Amino acid sequence: MAFDLPFLLQILKAIFQAMPLTLAIALVSCAGAFLLGFAFEILRRVNRPLGLLMRLIIDFIRSTPLLVQIYFFYYVLPYYGVVLPGVVVGGMALSIYYSGYLAEVFKAGIDTIPAGQSEAALALGLAPMDVTFRVIAPQMLRNIAAPMGNYFVSILKSTPYLAVIGVAEMMGMTLEIASSTFRYAEPMLLLGIVFFILAATMAWCVRRLEVRLMQSSKR
Amino acid sequence: MVSNDVVIAVKGLNKWYADFQALKEIDLDVMKGEQIVICGPSGSGKSTLIRCINRLESFQEGSIRVEGVADQNDLLTLRRTVGMVFQQFNLFPHLTVLRNCTLALTRARGLEKAAAEDVALSLLDRVRIREQALKYPGQLSGGQQQRVAIARALCMSPKAMLFDEPTSSLDPEMIKEVLDVMADLASDGMTMICVTHEMGFARRVADRVIFMDQGRIVEAAKPDIFFEAPRNARTRAFLHQIL
Repeated sequence: MAFDLPFLLQILKAIFQAMPLTLAIALVSCAGAFLLGFAFEILRRVNRPLGLLMRLIIDFIRSTPLLVQIYFFYYVLPYYGVVLPGVVVGGMALSIYYSGYLAEVFKAGIDTIPAGQSEAALALGLAPMDVTFRVIAPQMLRNIAAPMGNYFVSILKSTPYLAVIGVAEMMGMTLEIASSTFRYAEPMLLLGIVFFILAATMAWCVRRLEVRLMQSSKR
Repeated sequence: MVSNDVVIAVKGLNKWYADFQALKEIDLDVMKGEQIVICGPSGSGKSTLIRCINRLESFQEGSIRVEGVADQNDLLTLRRTVGMVFQQFNLFPHLTVLRNCTLALTRARGLEKAAAEDVALSLLDRVRIREQALKYPGQLSGGQQQRVAIARALCMSPKAMLFDEPTSSLDPEMIKEVLDVMADLASDGMTMICVTHEMGFARRVADRVIFMDQGRIVEAAKPDIFFEAPRNARTRAFLHQIL
């Protein structure tokens, strides 16, 4: 692994070119996983039959490998006439896979809110939607900022899986250089460093958010 | 002050938790402007009874009618007509005192923010805590939090107020400030049902004191009769223990 500046620059250029798409996929998947996971968790609480169904769906999603889900959506959906670009399938797979984990995080975040909170809100005559979104959800977010942030970082770190369906994210682009030059060490090392910097930045943002949420209620 | 209009009418109420019968054949009419204190040993059904009134608890038999609510199955209207104060205050910790009070006004009553804040501030003033309006509940003492909880319930201009052991989780020195607010409310003619063990308050404020035991109303009488000459042996034993 001799020091080869032009080669390193070539790799970095490829990584940075792929970075916007990678970050976009991660961001959209975070939002998707968040919304889907929250919907799962709220539906789980509606009534018993629906709760059991949601439980099954969440457990199924969590118990199957991400890679399997990615291949499944990519190769099975076209069977039913749904042909989507790899980027879309990738974002979908990441959203669905992590929604299962986030639903569990949301569950823990809601379970720690005393029952008195929703009782007080109901007793005031607030509609169920207002109880959920004005009273429960904000307190839940405060409880789960840290674990939720960890999963957001995991989503970013899972984008390399999308290379298998040809998405031009950072891993795929780096891999292209590596396989065409038969030099894997430098590309993977650089990619690792870039991921480290991105993940550390994200973790730092999550920590800041958590501190702010804590301060805003001083309890 | 007490009129002949029935505000809350409970008839033949029976409630079970699985096999355990929590309420047995409860009949109770609460008149407009009447203040009722319910006492009794823990597990006697006092809290369950008042939680049935605003349907925080469901029940299997009997009926509860709240005056002015056309459809008793319309839970939103029913709950907006009856205010409730809890033992644990249950203020929303992520909202300021003011927003705690305006939330239901803006979301349930559809008031504009400014109008809602006017209402909230005047009621915070009434419970003597207006200067804390912009603080968060966690920054207040227990007594202050409970007074905010009372103001929050009053914001919806309820026809009746339910108090579920409002002073039971307060330090002794804070009980008085909450009871004083409640006594003020009573003297303004608010219809109220209060589950409490504060017998001094019952004697001073209540029009009727009700003693419950094992899911039944065992005794209901004016405070002077209730405290001086209770008819039932269980009431006497209970009073003997706590007085």
